[in-house]
Amino acid sequence: MSARDKILSKLRAALDEGDATVKARSAAAQARIRTAKQTGPIPKIARTDGMDRVNQFVERAEAVQATVRRIATIEELPGAVSDELRRRNLPAALRMGDDAMLASLDWGAVETSVGPGRLEEPVTLTAAVGGVSETGTLVFRSGPDAPSSLNFLGEAHFVVLRARDIEAGLEGLWRKFRDSGADPRTVNLITGPSRTGDIEQKIELGAHGPVALQIFLIDDY
Amino acid sequence: MTAEPKSSQFKSAASEALQNPRLQAAMKASGGLAVRRAAAIAEIPEFEAIRDAGRDLKNHTLANLDAYLLAFEEKALESGAKVHWAADAEEARAIILKIVGRHAKGPEGKARVNKGKSMISEEIGLNSALEAAGHHVLETDLGEYIIQLRGEPPSHIIAPAAHVSKPDVEADFRAAHTHLDPERTFPDAASLVHEARHVLREQYFGADVGITGANMLIAETGQGVIVTNEGNGDLSQILPDVHIAVASLEKVIPTLDDASTILRLLARSATGQSLSSYTTFYKGARRQGDLDGPKEMHFVLLDNGRSEMLAGEFREMLRCIRCGACMNNCPVYRAVGGHSYGWVYVGPMGSVLTPNFVGIKEGRHLPNASTFCGRCQEVCPVRIPLPGLMRKLREAEFEQKLSPQTARYGLGVWRWFAKRPALYHRMSSIGMRALNWLSGGHGRLKRLPFGGGWTAHRDFPAPAKRTFMAEWKARKAAKSQGDDQ
Ligand code: SF4
Repeated sequence: MSARDKILSKLRAALDEGDATVKARSAAAQARIRTAKQTGPIPKIARTDGMDRVNQFVERAEAVQATVRRIATIEELPGAVSDELRRRNLPAALRMGDDAMLASLDWGAVETSVGPGRLEEPVTLTAAVGGVSETGTLVFRSGPDAPSSLNFLGEAHFVVLRARDIEAGLEGLWRKFRDSGADPRTVNLITGPSRTGDIEQKIELGAHGPVALQIFLIDDY
Repeated sequence: MTAEPKSSQFKSAASEALQNPRLQAAMKASGGLAVRRAAAIAEIPEFEAIRDAGRDLKNHTLANLDAYLLAFEEKALESGAKVHWAADAEEARAIILKIVGRHAKGPEGKARVNKGKSMISEEIGLNSALEAAGHHVLETDLGEYIIQLRGEPPSHIIAPAAHVSKPDVEADFRAAHTHLDPERTFPDAASLVHEARHVLREQYFGADVGITGANMLIAETGQGVIVTNEGNGDLSQILPDVHIAVASLEKVIPTLDDASTILRLLARSATGQSLSSYTTFYKGARRQGDLDGPKEMHFVLLDNGRSEMLAGEFREMLRCIRCGACMNNCPVYRAVGGHSYGWVYVGPMGSVLTPNFVGIKEGRHLPNASTFCGRCQEVCPVRIPLPGLMRKLREAEFEQKLSPQTARYGLGVWRWFAKRPALYHRMSSIGMRALNWLSGGHGRLKRLPFGGGWTAHRDFPAPAKRTFMAEWKARKAAKSQGDDQ
């Protein structure tokens, strides 16, 4: 008997009882998966709307040591980015994915290169597909235009996010993925820069991932 | 065989731990987690209701576990992942060794393996198996890296180096990173974190295989989920050509919405965050056009005792989401540290899991390492009745006649009295009055007759002045008087 059969038959021996047959369990599981409805209570902080939602996102992101800079339009991004690079004493160079929206912008004196993350990566720039107001979380999906490694290898991680893409809670996010049929290999939920408490439980930023997480929030809600 | 247990030596290990000033200082420093948890929970008034939902969704999944595992498998296969089933630790190691061997790029078939923190990997003794086969294993979680340098097992499920002090880490780094300037100084914890970042960063590139655990498996989508704060788990799975995720059977949950419930409980209970820094949902291998991600993705689904627990009276323990709140809030764990427990799972959850996994004989002391204060059950996000489960293990131990003679004799006497209620109440109120007199009415006993093993390191709460039955009768009488008015 294969390990798979052995395990399944042990599970079934443990679970089979009266009406609880293999068939009934499979039907119960399929029903819950199909309806995939929200099953737990949604806390109030995950039910914000309008500008409250955006403001709470900013508040919560800052509470986990991300920094947020609000801009009016996507065209303002290069200026804001180069300003931020200067302010942080970082080289005027960005690593990004093969992202048409980012490529269409005029980066001026800031050098841009396209590809996955490398060993030394002072600054990466990626576009978030969403945000979560509940927790101040950024949402990324992987693809040729968005290598996941760029979310982890930058010393500083720069992120552009549209305010209208901010969901109230995690539920909205799943709805969006299901509705759009998007089925990416990787979805990264990122809440603040990398951190560790492994040395005497003191929280230090930049354990392996970015030391700084800078969000450029396009206020187009 | 699983990782070598030393749980039968709990008593001697615990008393050594209590005498070890460095450990005691480190344990004191690690007290913050319980405080942070309390603050994070105060922030959302719905937390208790979410705990109920977490308990219910885990119960539902466990009651239909075969169906959810098959649903997960189907979706995972669709996404191009490979799914392996392992009945025990040995099978899991064999599966992993085979995959690693196939992808070894080093000389003589030796591979470089990067690991994210995984308790399952500890449970199956994976590192020593990989090393015995000549592979190079690197733990990338900072805490795991520190204990790997020290050649120690973890002492906490989410803070594996909770027992190590900063000067110890400094000494370990100096001994291991000999290529760096010996004159360098470490003024603070940040400087140590920085050095680890620098040293490990180079090793992320060039690994042949990445092995991580999974906090959840989603049946709806075939995704694995990994939650970390450092980002090391992600770097371990994105950069090498092959990603292996090891997960025990009970990690499967039905849907993404169920994941929301678990996520709302997990980080708050573990570290007091509303969400950990990195929560990643991954499925299958790299897609056409992708510039990174593993070219092969494997899930190893491990039973290793779970199916027995599902069948028996310890099913509820399978709800555990490995948050660590029970140990952070446990007076015994906080006093003796994780290593005393002698196996990979520590604190109250370990006291239930270890005897279930390595046998009651080996783990018999652990369910006794409890004051039954009930704090663990109060904080457990999925409401596992930990003290009750420990009590069941004590009973099982007693039935198997593994308790030492004195305990058996004591319990036998207790049982004899318990079967004779009138006599029992009389005797227990005499005993209580005596103990109360000893405490001088302060409610805490510094020394207990014949109980030196207990009171050397903690106070024994003196019993109430009256027995429960006497108190009950008195209150009932008072209440009915009140009703009359
Ligand atoms: S038993 Fe409960 S509190 Fe302890 S680790 Fe598991 S889920 Fe957390």
